[in-house]
Amino acid sequence: MAEKTYVEDIDRSMYDFRYEEKDAYRIEEGLDPAIVEQISKEKNDPRWMHDFRMKSLEIYNHIQMPDWGPSIEGLDMAHIATYVRPNTKMANDWDSVPEEIKDTFERLGIPQAERKSLAGVGAQYDSELVYHNVQDFAEKLGVVYSDIESALRGPYADMIRDHFMKLVPPTDHKFAALHGAVWSGGSFVYVPEGVHLEIPLQSYFRLNAKGAGQFEHTLIIVEDNAYLHFIEGCSAPKYNVANLHAGCVELFVGKNSTLRYSTIENWSKNMYNLNTKRALVKEGGKIEWVSGSFGSHVSYLYPMSVLAGRGASSEFTGVTFAGKGQNLDTGCKVVHNAPDTTSVVNTRSISKSGGISTFRSAVVINPQAKNSKSSTSCQSLMLDSESRSDTIPAMDVKTQQADVGHEAKIGRISDDAVFYLMSRGLPEDDARALIVSGFADNVGKELPLEYAVEMNNLIRLEMKGTNG
Amino acid sequence: MNMTLNRLPSITWYWLKMNNGSLEGVDPAEGLAIKDQVPANVSKSTLSMAELPDQPTGMGKDMTTLVTESKPQVQAYISDRDKEASDPVLLNFDYETGKRAVNAVYLKAQRGSTMTVVEDFSSAKDAEGFSAVQTRYEVEKGATLKLVQIQRLGSGYTFLNDIGGRVDDQGRIEMIHLVLDGGHTYLGVQSDLAGYASSLKADIGYRVKGDGTLDINYFANHTGKKTTCDIDAKGVLRDNAKKVFRGTIDLKKGSSGSVGNEKEDVLMMDDTVRNQTLPVILCTEEDVVGNHGATIGRLDESTLFYLESRGMDKESVYEMMADARVASVVHLIDNQAIRENVENYLAQNLDKNLNG
Repeated sequence: MAEKTYVEDIDRSMYDFRYEEKDAYRIEEGLDPAIVEQISKEKNDPRWMHDFRMKSLEIYNHIQMPDWGPSIEGLDMAHIATYVRPNTKMANDWDSVPEEIKDTFERLGIPQAERKSLAGVGAQYDSELVYHNVQDFAEKLGVVYSDIESALRGPYADMIRDHFMKLVPPTDHKFAALHGAVWSGGSFVYVPEGVHLEIPLQSYFRLNAKGAGQFEHTLIIVEDNAYLHFIEGCSAPKYNVANLHAGCVELFVGKNSTLRYSTIENWSKNMYNLNTKRALVKEGGKIEWVSGSFGSHVSYLYPMSVLAGRGASSEFTGVTFAGKGQNLDTGCKVVHNAPDTTSVVNTRSISKSGGISTFRSAVVINPQAKNSKSSTSCQSLMLDSESRSDTIPAMDVKTQQADVGHEAKIGRISDDAVFYLMSRGLPEDDARALIVSGFADNVGKELPLEYAVEMNNLIRLEMKGTNG
Repeated sequence: MNMTLNRLPSITWYWLKMNNGSLEGVDPAEGLAIKDQVPANVSKSTLSMAELPDQPTGMGKDMTTLVTESKPQVQAYISDRDKEASDPVLLNFDYETGKRAVNAVYLKAQRGSTMTVVEDFSSAKDAEGFSAVQTRYEVEKGATLKLVQIQRLGSGYTFLNDIGGRVDDQGRIEMIHLVLDGGHTYLGVQSDLAGYASSLKADIGYRVKGDGTLDINYFANHTGKKTTCDIDAKGVLRDNAKKVFRGTIDLKKGSSGSVGNEKEDVLMMDDTVRNQTLPVILCTEEDVVGNHGATIGRLDESTLFYLESRGMDKESVYEMMADARVASVVHLIDNQAIRENVENYLAQNLDKNLNG
C-alpha cells in the first residue's frame, strides 16, 4: 500500500535554543496596581503615561475574556512576569551587545540581514530593545527609527502622545487593555512627507525568559506621498510553561502613501500570541499586510485596516500553518469608512497533525463608503483527519453602492491537479510537493527574497508515496 | 420569555452583532387551525410534542421551549413506505390580524417514499401579529422529502419559522423557502445529514422591504459519509430592510467523501438597506470539499448598461432584475398550480412597482 503524502512539521530547531536567564531585573509574577506602578517606575514614564497604564489596568479588570475563539484557559496571568529587563543597555552597534544576546540574534540571522538588505534594525530581547540602528542614508532622508521609550522623551514626544493607543484603545478588548497597562519596548518609525524608503526596516522580537510576557508597542507614522516597508519577526525558545505575547501595532498611513507591513511569526508552541495590529489609511493611501503565522500554541491575530480617506485601499495576504498542539485563529478586519475605497484579502491555511486553523474575518462597508469594493478569498488545506480547519468570514454592508465578493474553499490536495501535472511529465511525488508549496506561495511572492526563502524553509515538504 | 434565536454554531466577534437574533417578551400561544389537503399515500395524525423524536432545530433551544410550553397538537404527515405521493400535502396557515399562534408540524418520509409538502403562510397585506411554526422532519433510507415554504405575511407580522430534521442513508431533503412578504422574519434550519450518501438541497429566495427584517440561520450538519449539501440563497433588499444570513456547513469527522456548497447573491436596491452575510465552513475531516461564495451589492454595470441601451430606465431594470432573482427560485417549484399562484402574486407586485 502506498504511503500517505507527508508534509513535515515546521522546522523549529533554529529557534529553539535558549540561554540561561541573566536578567538585570524580573518583576514578580501576576498583575496588580503595584506591579504596574513598578513597571512605570522602571520605565521612567512621563506622568500621562503612568496614568494611562493605571487606567488601562482598571479597564482590563472589567473586560471579560473572549469566549468566541480558541481556549486560553492555560494562560494564568498570576504566573506571567510582565516585565523582564535584560542585563544590558540598548546599543547601536552589535559589538556592544552582550555576547549571548548577540549570539542569539546572529543565529537568527539579524545582523547579517541588516548588512545585506535592511535600512535599519531594532532587536528586542524580552521586555527591552537591546539594539537599534538605522543606516545613514535613511537618517539623511529624515527617517526616524528608534525605540519608543527614547522617542517618548525626545522631540517626537507630543506626536507619540497624540497617537499612542488612539487606534487601538485599551477598551478595544481585554488584551489591548493589558497591553496599555504593562507595555514595554517596541519601535517608533516616522517617515517624512515625500520620502520613499526603498529598503525595508526590520524589528525582531525575541522572548527568552521563561513564563514571561512580551508587550512591545510599534508605532509607525508615514506622512503623505511616502513609502515604507517594515518587516517584523518574532520567535522564542520552547518552555513547558505558558508565555504570552500581547504586542500592539499602530500604523498611520498618510495621503497617497503606501506602507507594507510584513510579519513572519514563529513563536514557540507554548506561546499565547494575543497581538493587535491596526492601520488607519488616509486619502489615496494603501496598507499592505503580508503575514505568515507558523508558531504559537494559541494565536488571536487579525490585522485591521481602517480605510478613512477617499480612495484608500488595503491588501491582506496571509498564510497560516497549524501543526500539532497549535490552535491558530487568524485573519483580518477591514472597515471601509470613505468613498471609493477598496480591499483585497487573500489567505491560505494548512492544518496537519491535529492542528487547528481558523480563518476569521470581517469586512464592514459603512454608509459613507460609496463606490467601495471588497474581495475576499480564503483557501484551506486539510492534510489529515486529526486536524481542523474553519472559515468564519463576516460581511456587513450598509450601502447599496458597494460591491462585495467572497469565496472560500476547504479541501485536500486535488487529485485532478495531481493528474494534470503528472500528464505533463512530473512524477507524482513532485506534483504533490509542487501543489503544496504553491498553495502557500501567495505570501512567499510578496516577501523580499531572503524572507521568502526563510518561509519556504519553515514549510519544508517531504513527499513520500502516492496517497493524498 | 426573552429568546435567543438563530445562534451561529461557531460564534465570532460580538461587535459585529451577527452571532444571533433575539426577541423579548414572547409568551406561549395557542395553535392556529391549519387547513390541509392530504393526498393518497400520506397519512395524517396528531401527536404531542413529547412523542416527537429529539431533534435540534436551526432556531435553537429557546424556540423549542416556546413551542413545548405552548403545548400545540402536532400535525403529523407520514408518507407510505415505498410510495410516491401523487400530489403535495398542502398546509395553509392563514393568519388573521392581531392574532398570536404557535404551531408544530411533523413530517416523515418513510423508507423509499417521496412526499412533497407545501406550507403556505399568509395573511392580509397590512396584518399585524405573531406566529411561530416549528417543523420537524425525518427522511428514512432512500426517501425524498420536498418541503416548499411560501411566506406572504403582513408587514406587521413577526414570524418564527423553525425547521430541524435528520436524513438517513441515501435519503434526500429538498427545501424551497420563499420569503415574499412579512414584517420581522426569523428562519432557522438544521439538517442532519447522518446517513450514507444523504443529501440536502436548499433554495432560498427572499425580498425584504419597508422596515422589514430577515434573520436566517442555515445549518447543514454532515456526519454521514458521501453526503452532499447545496445551499443557494438569492435575495433583494429595498427601502430600509435589514437581513442577516448565517450559513454553516459542518463537515464532521467521519463524513469522508462529502461535499458542501453554499452561496448567496444579494441585490441591494436602496441606499438605506443593510446586509449581513456570514457563510461558515467548519471542517474536521480531510477527504471532503467545502465551498462558499457570496456577492453583495448593486446590479453589475454591464448588465445595467445593456438593458438601458435597450430602452429601459434604471428603475425598471432594477425592478425587473429583482423580480427575476426571486422568480428563479419560484421556478424550482415542481407543482404547476402552486408555481403559477406564486408567479401571479409576484407579477402583481412587479406591476405595482413599475406602474405605481
